[in-house]
Amino acid sequence: MNNFLLSALIFLPIAGSVVVLFLPSTFRDSFRWISLIVSVINLLNILTLYNNFDRQVSNYQFVEQHEWIRMSLGNLGVLSIDYLLGVDGINMPMVLLSGIILLIGSISSFTIEYRQKAYHSLYLLLSGSIIGCFVSIDFFLFFLFFEFMLLPMYFLIGIWGSEHREYAAIKFFIYTLVGSILILIVMIGLSMSVKDPFFSQEMGRTVHTFDFRQLTDFNNFIPHSILHPYEKQMIFGVPARLFAFILLIIGFGIKLPSVPFHTWLPDAHVEAPTPVSVVLAGILLKVGAYGFIRIAYGFFPDIAYQFTYIVAGAGVISIIYGALNALAQEDLKKMIAYSSISHMGFVLLGLASLTLEGVNGAIYQMFGHGLVSAMLFLVAGVIYDRTYNRLIKNFRGLSSAMPYFTLAVAVAFFGALGLPTLPGFMGEFFTILGGFQSEILPNWVSMLAMLGIVLSAAYFLWTLQRMFFGTFWTNSNQEGKMQDLDFREIVMLYSLSAFSIIIGIFPSLIFDISGVSVKAFLNGF
Amino acid sequence: MLEKLSHILFSSRLLLPDLLFGVVFLAIVATIAFSQKLDVERTYRLFNMLIITVLISSGLVFYALFEFYKQDFESVSELFGQLIYLDSISLFFKIIISIASLAVLIHVWVLGYKVVGEFYAIFMALVWGLFIMTMTTNWLMLYVSLELVSICSYILVVFNKEKDNSEAGIKYLLFGATSSAIMLYGISLLYGMTGTLNFVGQEFATFLSQNPTWIVQIAVFMTIGGLLFKLSAVPFHSWTPDVYEATPTPIVAFLSIAPKAAVILVLIRLFSSLSIDFRMIMAIIIMASITIGNFSALWQTNTKRMLGYSTIAHAGFMLVGLLATNPIGIQSTIFYITTYLFITLAAFLLIDLMALKTESYELESLRGLGQQNTFLGLAAVIIMIALVGLPPTVGFTGKLLLFTALWESYQSSGSNMLLVVLIFGLLNTAISIFYYINIPYYMIFKEPKIGVRYYPIGFIRNGFLLIFLFFIIYLFLSPSGLINLIESLKLA
Repeated sequence: MNNFLLSALIFLPIAGSVVVLFLPSTFRDSFRWISLIVSVINLLNILTLYNNFDRQVSNYQFVEQHEWIRMSLGNLGVLSIDYLLGVDGINMPMVLLSGIILLIGSISSFTIEYRQKAYHSLYLLLSGSIIGCFVSIDFFLFFLFFEFMLLPMYFLIGIWGSEHREYAAIKFFIYTLVGSILILIVMIGLSMSVKDPFFSQEMGRTVHTFDFRQLTDFNNFIPHSILHPYEKQMIFGVPARLFAFILLIIGFGIKLPSVPFHTWLPDAHVEAPTPVSVVLAGILLKVGAYGFIRIAYGFFPDIAYQFTYIVAGAGVISIIYGALNALAQEDLKKMIAYSSISHMGFVLLGLASLTLEGVNGAIYQMFGHGLVSAMLFLVAGVIYDRTYNRLIKNFRGLSSAMPYFTLAVAVAFFGALGLPTLPGFMGEFFTILGGFQSEILPNWVSMLAMLGIVLSAAYFLWTLQRMFFGTFWTNSNQEGKMQDLDFREIVMLYSLSAFSIIIGIFPSLIFDISGVSVKAFLNGF
Repeated sequence: MLEKLSHILFSSRLLLPDLLFGVVFLAIVATIAFSQKLDVERTYRLFNMLIITVLISSGLVFYALFEFYKQDFESVSELFGQLIYLDSISLFFKIIISIASLAVLIHVWVLGYKVVGEFYAIFMALVWGLFIMTMTTNWLMLYVSLELVSICSYILVVFNKEKDNSEAGIKYLLFGATSSAIMLYGISLLYGMTGTLNFVGQEFATFLSQNPTWIVQIAVFMTIGGLLFKLSAVPFHSWTPDVYEATPTPIVAFLSIAPKAAVILVLIRLFSSLSIDFRMIMAIIIMASITIGNFSALWQTNTKRMLGYSTIAHAGFMLVGLLATNPIGIQSTIFYITTYLFITLAAFLLIDLMALKTESYELESLRGLGQQNTFLGLAAVIIMIALVGLPPTVGFTGKLLLFTALWESYQSSGSNMLLVVLIFGLLNTAISIFYYINIPYYMIFKEPKIGVRYYPIGFIRNGFLLIFLFFIIYLFLSPSGLINLIESLKLA
């Protein structure tokens, strides 16, 4: 069982990062190639993983387990932390998405000129950390990667971003750190309340574990522990498990981001450089959603069932509020940032419906939105790279000067707003179907969500019409700079477009993988 | 009579390494006093070598004794008629203090500080006082050793003989003297209540529980006042920022860890045997320390002053393990102190290395230093995230263990106050990231004022800093060695 594919996915980028750090600066232009090669190798490994993934099994596959920390707590038992990795249907699509987006990001990073060594070292460190976050099935290891992602992101936004980058970077760091700490509180509480049955018998003492597989089993809880599922312990008059669930919702909701914890996103996305925005929107937000599914809903199904309307409410509010904000924006990148908030709301709605269609749709929407938002930010990056200006009103009729670009933009925009044959449609369709099918959620919740689809059509089509159709004109005579896509940009945008069309027409590529695991996941409810 | 004499000889034999410190102290003082034409450079180098040799050899002796005591669990030596106990935990702390002293002396040497001969003598006496403090369970002996430590540190603080240095020294002296006076008053109250000076004995606990709780709590609070002063905990914390700002850095580095370690051991001994519920007052001290430390540090522009306020916050964290009155609380406190040793020594070394070229300790002067010297920038990031308590540094493991102990205590006692302290302490970690990240922020993000020059530091200095960085990350990846060592410690 111990093959090293998953460890290779994490440690190859980290090794690449160290190599880049120690190469002398005279190798200026080769750093970007090292980053590119590492990303390509990672993607090939992930495709191997995808092919060998057994679609009929709902348990974790490719599991790697090594003993890491054993600390004796006196007569309270032993604290056991393992280096534990594995994939199942819920994180496999995310790992695939990470491979694709990180490759696109490293191609896009060719535009970075300033201090390339530091940039690529941090970028590779970020890659390893994100993949580590998705494949860890030990809570401590998950938390380690979850927090560690923040550090390279802080530097990437703060050094290579645009005008208000330092403010955006520190806001991002502190905001998401508060979320991480709330998750840490629940992590400590859970591990102290759960014992591992096999090791406890083997060692004769209570072994507290952080293993995801043990934390989901209600039989493993220690009697009289605070988070025991059947004894209703209270903290400050609130059931302890509800307290923990709320902390987790807030913690992961900051990352997702869901309204009202979304205010770091417009700043971080707008100020970050293009490749970092691509990675941020493409995968970092999905870590929050993944945490929702795996940890909040996975470990507290009883509370989740009762209080899922809170999550659905947050989802619908995100959809509508994000869309209305996007409609009001003048800055292209900020509009795309708010549309991200809006589309992640669909993920929350699908998850909260607790139906097979809904949760599968949520995972599909995560994947599809990752691809589409990567394309959207690349589009914004193309314009910004040429003119250092992102305001929508400064451009008109770009389709006559940049036809290839307009095609890519059209695919991106239509993909985001939900045209059939593109991923947005499938994701939104299945999540709203789940909403209607759900036994818990009332129908009007899903109907409000559909209003969000209309609103996203509104702002995307309006932007398309304002910027790309009509007579060719730019503010302050920058028409000369508006050249069509060069080779690198064509590769990025068109490969993403092709792939998203394939995913949109053959959603079974994702549904096949997630289906069985989601079924097992929903059995707990 | 003969029995007493042989007991004293036996005790002295076991304390030989400590007595060696006293002998070296006297030897250095005599050398300085009685020789007139000194070749200053060579003599001071001689002193330096002598002291480092003494420290290393005594460290090794302690380690040997430690191994010896570990095998025989019940082995505790009562020396000098129950005034001093030599057991495995005091040996462990002596090793920690020896490492701190060694590191500080190397810091002085590597950075080229010019010190007078008396520095070495007084430093020896200070370390000797700390050693005694780790071994004692008697109020009187504790007071004597505490005063030895205090007086030596007052003198060490004013070594530079500059104006703000002397001001800091006077503040330190006045606050210290007041805290010692309050401590004496508390001790006298406790002696009056219990009739014994040994605070870990059975009589102490029994008689203490026979008195009204509120008077006992006040007396104990006053008594630990002297100890909290050394620990920089609220409400005895006001001296910390001023003294930290004005004192030469190696001395500050030493003061930020070694007295704290000894004081924590004394508090561990005291609270393991206390029969009253002291947790309410402890929780208030902890929350106040963490809050005042963190919120005041947000506004600082001087790096040393900022580290002073951060010390106050960390003192609060150290006490958390004592608040969770279970064995793993004590073990996690010891783990936290051991890892804090590496982190804080590295932080002060880093600041001194940066001050070599910029000649100032202000944040503004750090602009662009990370761009000129990548190693310093990287070191700053690692040390600052270790101070916050983020993975992958050992600061995270320390905080995790502390809060696990606190949660376990909450689970078994159900007292809501512990949960409040837990949430409070953890949320303050998020606040602290803002001021800690300021140092790498100025170093890496800001442009240097006069173009980009490459500023190399010596290989030895880099290597010295690298040792600390190695420990900070290595202890995160494999803490089991240290954890097993701490688990084997037993109290007297």
